[in-house]
Amino acid sequence: MGVEAKPLPYDLSNLTVLIVEDSLYMHSLFSSMLKIFGVGDIMVCEGGHEAMDLITVTQARRKTRYINHIDIVLMDWLMAKGDGKELMKWIRAHEKDEIRFLPVVVVSGYTTDIITATARDMGAHEILVKPVSAKGLAGRICSVIDHPRPFIQAPHYFGPDRRRQALPYKGQERRVTQSEKIRIEDVKTEW
Amino acid sequence: MSKQNGDTSPQDGGVAVRLFRLTNRLKKKITKMRKPDDTPGFLAPEAIAEADALITELCEDCPAAMNKHFKALVAAWTKMRDMPDGAERKEQAQDMFTVAHEIKDISALCGYDLVSYFAESLRDFVAGTELKLEAQRVIIQAHIDALNVVLKQGIKTDGGAQAEELKKMVKIAIDKYR
Repeated sequence: MGVEAKPLPYDLSNLTVLIVEDSLYMHSLFSSMLKIFGVGDIMVCEGGHEAMDLITVTQARRKTRYINHIDIVLMDWLMAKGDGKELMKWIRAHEKDEIRFLPVVVVSGYTTDIITATARDMGAHEILVKPVSAKGLAGRICSVIDHPRPFIQAPHYFGPDRRRQALPYKGQERRVTQSEKIRIEDVKTEW
Repeated sequence: MSKQNGDTSPQDGGVAVRLFRLTNRLKKKITKMRKPDDTPGFLAPEAIAEADALITELCEDCPAAMNKHFKALVAAWTKMRDMPDGAERKEQAQDMFTVAHEIKDISALCGYDLVSYFAESLRDFVAGTELKLEAQRVIIQAHIDALNVVLKQGIKTDGGAQAEELKKMVKIAIDKYR
């Protein structure tokens, strides 16, 4: 019987992560942690507005030798120069698939359920609540890589499928739209 | 490019929901495999331990960093305190918001819960108030006094009689003058 190969940890050297964080202390911490994790290219913006400009350039369809496509956006929620909400809205409403399908991890200092729910309902893939731990950050990155949820485009939502698992529900039916009225259309993308 | 946002209007009475099944580009890129399997991956435990050690190391400098930002907070407040209502004061309030946010982030990261509590409260107050001068003075001063005591005495936890007393002091100021 052959010896089973030991699984190897992810090599993130091909990955480009954009950090959008206005706190100097926090973005240098995130930057250093990602470097330790082996992320190949780390970009930093101090606010949502700067991030929009950078993402527009990096995600341009034609890839150049000098500019990498951003693979994951790690963004703070509360920032002075363009907050996370504004950036999230811009990303998910963008006409380019390279931008609107970007995986986003929201980092929030707010521990309230309202912020978590808002970020999720605006299309965040993962939410990381401060204080940040190395295990927490690593877990969110692995989750984005391992579980690429399909995107849903509904009348009031565009973003990754918010249902992580389908469980039977025994309570009262509260959905506004009945399932027989929903027409699911599978769309293939080049992205 | 796929269909644009917002064109999910029902045409036959039903609600159109589009489901985009994307290829796992990230896993392909990382594993360099054309068809990577679904096995969940992981990051090297040594890297996670090293990153945690980095947080610990950063937290050793935390008191100095918090004090540095607190000085900036007091300076912004001193400048703003006697300014007449207007654009310049709002700009100064924005500076206070940023510094309080920074103090909140650093303190929360390193477990200084009481500092984090007051910094967050101050940040939210500065962001949410209509900046009515008199009320603002008392409430901001109460926050700054509380932060001063906590930082000087190096109180780390969120509990204890002194912590409760300080929280009560700020709450009274907020309730009375808001």
